[in-house]
Amino acid sequence: MIWPELVRSTSFRRALMLVAALTAIIVALFGFVYWKTDSYLTARSDQMIMTQLNVISLLSDQRLLDAIDAHLRQDSRGVQFAGLFGADGSRIAGNIARLPPGLKTGTPAHGVQIMAIRGSSLENRVVQGVARQLPDGEVLVIGRLVDETVDVARVIGQALGLGLVFALGLCLVAGALASIRASKRVEEVSTRVQRIVAGDLHERLPQTNDGDPFSKLAAIVNGMLDEMETLIHALAGVGNDIAHDLRTPLTRARLTLERGRANAVTLEQLQATADKTITGIDQSLAIITALLRLAEIENSRRSAGFGVVALDQLLREVCDIYEPIAENRDIALKVKASPELSVHGDRDLLIEAVANLVDNAIKFTPAGGRVDIDLIRGEGESVVRVSDTGRGISEGERDAVLRRFYRSEKDRKTPGVGLGLNLVAAIVKLHGFRLAIFPGPGCRVEIACPDQAP
Amino acid sequence: MTKILLIEDDGETAEEVTAELVERGFDVEWSADGTAGLASARSSGPDVLIVDRMLPGMDGLSIIETLRQEQVRTPVLVLSALGAIDDRVRGLRAGGDDYLTKPFAILELVARIEALLRRPAQSRETTLRVGVLELDLIERTAKRGAREIDLLPREFRLLEYMMQRCDQLLTRAMLLEEVWNYKFVPATNLVDVHMGRLRHKVDGPNETPMIHNVRGAGFILRTPT
Repeated sequence: MIWPELVRSTSFRRALMLVAALTAIIVALFGFVYWKTDSYLTARSDQMIMTQLNVISLLSDQRLLDAIDAHLRQDSRGVQFAGLFGADGSRIAGNIARLPPGLKTGTPAHGVQIMAIRGSSLENRVVQGVARQLPDGEVLVIGRLVDETVDVARVIGQALGLGLVFALGLCLVAGALASIRASKRVEEVSTRVQRIVAGDLHERLPQTNDGDPFSKLAAIVNGMLDEMETLIHALAGVGNDIAHDLRTPLTRARLTLERGRANAVTLEQLQATADKTITGIDQSLAIITALLRLAEIENSRRSAGFGVVALDQLLREVCDIYEPIAENRDIALKVKASPELSVHGDRDLLIEAVANLVDNAIKFTPAGGRVDIDLIRGEGESVVRVSDTGRGISEGERDAVLRRFYRSEKDRKTPGVGLGLNLVAAIVKLHGFRLAIFPGPGCRVEIACPDQAP
Repeated sequence: MTKILLIEDDGETAEEVTAELVERGFDVEWSADGTAGLASARSSGPDVLIVDRMLPGMDGLSIIETLRQEQVRTPVLVLSALGAIDDRVRGLRAGGDDYLTKPFAILELVARIEALLRRPAQSRETTLRVGVLELDLIERTAKRGAREIDLLPREFRLLEYMMQRCDQLLTRAMLLEEVWNYKFVPATNLVDVHMGRLRHKVDGPNETPMIHNVRGAGFILRTPT
């Protein structure tokens, strides 16, 4: 049954609250209209009786009596009242039985109770009345029953009733519709999410382009799902790469062991077998270590190991370590770190990052080339630049090398685990620095370290 | 005989380590449990401790901290399967003297144990001597017999470290950590290149080699006999 669920839904409850608020506003509005109309009608009526009083009171004797008579005769609805009373209070003419005790002379019209003569009976009526003392001591009373306000009230009441029923109905229907629509969408989202959870990574949440918040939310979630799908595929690819990279040295080790077991007859042969096997296993272990280290850095936060690191000194140290290696390969390794710049960071990790860049640069630079390590002061940042005269990174690969887990086909053939640049990227990200790769000639990699507020 | 207390809960690892160390003439006591290990460390007074970080009963770092609070200064080598960046720092802060991540080569472990046992004392000597090799720490000069050796500062540092630990196996990882302050193993064989250069200068063409390469393990500076 949909009703109990409907009543419980938030959108329906909100609709109900809206209905209550709307009712209050409409009632207040109509009340205001009624109040204003009533006072307008009363004021007009008051003005009328005041005019009549003024006109009649100017007459005298028989003409006065005739005027009262005519005044009452003209009144077909029985809303007009008039009376002339002697100075002693006795009735002389009109349809008011006795001088109303609450009526004061000479004041503006006000509500007063009168005893009206209806044929042969007397009726109590509340009317708007005025009284004036004539020069001869007689008192002239003019009254009017303002019953139009009752009609107005009735019309307003009817309008109110009709309007309210309509508005409330509309609100309830809208609320119910909205709530049914929302719950339908939630249901649809839930079905799709279940499919995603079940492993269907292509599934996306329903999305329209009408700027509806639900759709906006769906768009955000879909964006996240896109990213996750890419990552999961990348991870799966990496999984395959790792498996392949691990299997190669392990297969070699296994073959060596097998052959050694069958063929080795001397201790030396057995030792050679063992050495070869150990090399293969060490290679596998190196891959695992590098991956673990990458994961470790990617998952870690700024640690207690952070401190002030003098970049110029760090670069000179890296250069010092790599100088003999570069020399062996006939590559000129030069460091230019004249400004004394320092950053907030983990020295060991930063050394590792720069060393990786230099290591790469030397590896990919042919003999006779050069590798430069420079420390430059940029705008609001210190920049470490490692440039070489090697083959560079191709346009297509430039973004890819920085993507997580990307490994170039060419890199796979060079020695090393091939996660070096990923490691650098992870270290740079951990520090909140920027890594940028620029087009050649050669390859230029920069780590930009923005100045931090102390 | 040098006494080693091994606190390690993995039986197979412990067996291998024990076998290797016994073969090298050490007296090894093995404890598979943290609490028992701490008791042994207190009662049997070993010369060096090998402590695994994750242990039943009491974890490795707590054992070390407890011992250090009791003013026990025995050198400790921490073993760990954890490789987190701060882990090493935490291990050393707790009072460990060296830190080795699993899986490790058995030779690496032995080399580090030897290094802990034969830590060079804080000496006031201004000249280091190994056989005919002589290093003047004030003048920053080196001599092999009468021959002057012209060393770059980084080569001087490496030779100084090796002379302080002559006849000890120094693994690549140890050299990277101690001489270059590198906390990671770089892709390129940095140590071999540097060692090659130093060796070229120290061991002349017609001289008995002093720097020896130990296959798959590291290097030794040997006193010529």
